[in-house]
Amino acid sequence: MLEACHGLLTAAGVRISEIDEIVVGVGPGGFTGLRIGLATALGLGQALSVPVTGASSLEALALGIARERPEGSLVVPVQDARRRELFAAVYRTGAAGLEELVAPVAIAADDLAARLVAIGGPAWVGGEGVTAAGGAFAREGLTTLAADAPGNRLEAADLVRRVRDGAALPARPVYARLPDAEVNRLSALPATEAPA
Amino acid sequence: MSDVTATGPILAIETSCDETAAAVVDGRRVVSSIVASQAELHAPYGGVVPEVAARHHLGTVNAVVDQALERAGLRLGEVSAIAVTQRPGLIGALLIGVATAKALAYAAGLPLIMTDHLHGHIAATWLDPVALDPPYVSLIASGGHTRLDLVTDLRSPRTLGQTIDDAAGEAIDKGARVLGLGYPGGPALERLAAGGSRTAHRFPVGLRGAGTRDFSFAGVKTSLLYAVRDLGEPLAEDVRADLAASYQEAVVRPLADRLIAAALDEGVPAVSLGGGVAANGRLRELVAEGAARAGLRLAVPDRSLCTDNAAMIGAAAQFTDVIPWPDFLGMDAVATAPSGGIAA
Ligand SMILES: [Zn+2]
Repeated sequence: MLEACHGLLTAAGVRISEIDEIVVGVGPGGFTGLRIGLATALGLGQALSVPVTGASSLEALALGIARERPEGSLVVPVQDARRRELFAAVYRTGAAGLEELVAPVAIAADDLAARLVAIGGPAWVGGEGVTAAGGAFAREGLTTLAADAPGNRLEAADLVRRVRDGAALPARPVYARLPDAEVNRLSALPATEAPA
Repeated sequence: MSDVTATGPILAIETSCDETAAAVVDGRRVVSSIVASQAELHAPYGGVVPEVAARHHLGTVNAVVDQALERAGLRLGEVSAIAVTQRPGLIGALLIGVATAKALAYAAGLPLIMTDHLHGHIAATWLDPVALDPPYVSLIASGGHTRLDLVTDLRSPRTLGQTIDDAAGEAIDKGARVLGLGYPGGPALERLAAGGSRTAHRFPVGLRGAGTRDFSFAGVKTSLLYAVRDLGEPLAEDVRADLAASYQEAVVRPLADRLIAAALDEGVPAVSLGGGVAANGRLRELVAEGAARAGLRLAVPDRSLCTDNAAMIGAAAQFTDVIPWPDFLGMDAVATAPSGGIAA
């Protein structure tokens, strides 16, 4: 992570001390990778005394998928969440940018596909979660991006675009899933004590 | 000592388990030491949950670092190096400290010192006011580790023995759970044991035999389970107290005996205690008695330096090679201890 930052800065001829603001993807995504990104960004921000701003990783991925799609399209960024689930969200493209229809969530690929069909309209599904989903998106009206298609990979510059578009988030992880131990603890509680 | 070790104030960071800690250490002096404990967070689960620990470290470590610097009256740019626990521990927890320390060091143009957590526990007695110098034999006993080290040079402690199954603190927590005392159970077990008889039950001592320097606590725990089952629930209060006292004795006596025996074998003039179990009053009593009988100096740091903290990491860092800026960018946290025992 930090090696990549250093390589980028060196290639750009910029010293780390010249950086004025840091933008970091807050997920959802793999927990460990997410935390390394955030810990690195927060540490850099702390040392440099510059603000650290969060941006949704799924929104940034959606920007790539949305490029060259007609207005009113559904764009559906998906990341592999393991355990036969995807981290996903659903947006509609419009003149004003992305409209969120389904907030970031961990969801089974088949359930997501069913929701997309229910919402209706042509939908483009992209991101590394497409491969993990197997054939779940092989349905009428759903198009999956090829693995090497432009827009299928999250570009860090799109995180910055989201912040510039006014979609800044706190620099805190969006996990979209409770720790297993918490899930087990809650399910062991008597029904009256479990939160709704 | 090598000329690549750090001099001047060091900012140290520790996140290997369930404490988020940062400290500023200058030589033997602890300038500031902040520990944010997550113990209460893990209590509902009956033990440390790695994912919960990692989530909490991330939300806490930057503020803890700020507090340590503020209390020391220093800005980040005024420290000479940053030290961080690299191993061993919960990998997700370690990663937060390592990523944070690397980012701080990179942005501040400082060197980094990747420190071993056990080395930290051993080096804690080197700090003021205990200020113990080698040679000595160290006993580290906590929820995660139980080991004896011969320290003739603080740069390279040599492991003499360790647990082959449960850690001593783990055995105490498990015993406390069997007796219905909740988690973490150490202090509660000690309180209950205070009113009981240490000789009421004969629990087996793991790995007996002259010259044994390793430890085993799985058998003691099983014996306690059988004893409770045979006595039948519910247990009267005095019966529980006897069980607690006898069980505690079976866990801490081998620790004390093997520490003193190893020191005599190795011909060193001192022994030291560290780790959370060092707070156990019966262990301290037994070690003090044994040390006095054998004519050994006993060094026990303040409780705050026995349990996990970052000041001890700053101490060990002064006996660990410094990695110059920016050679540390590709370095990672490691879950396991190296085969030699300590990565110094
Ligand atoms: Zn420890």
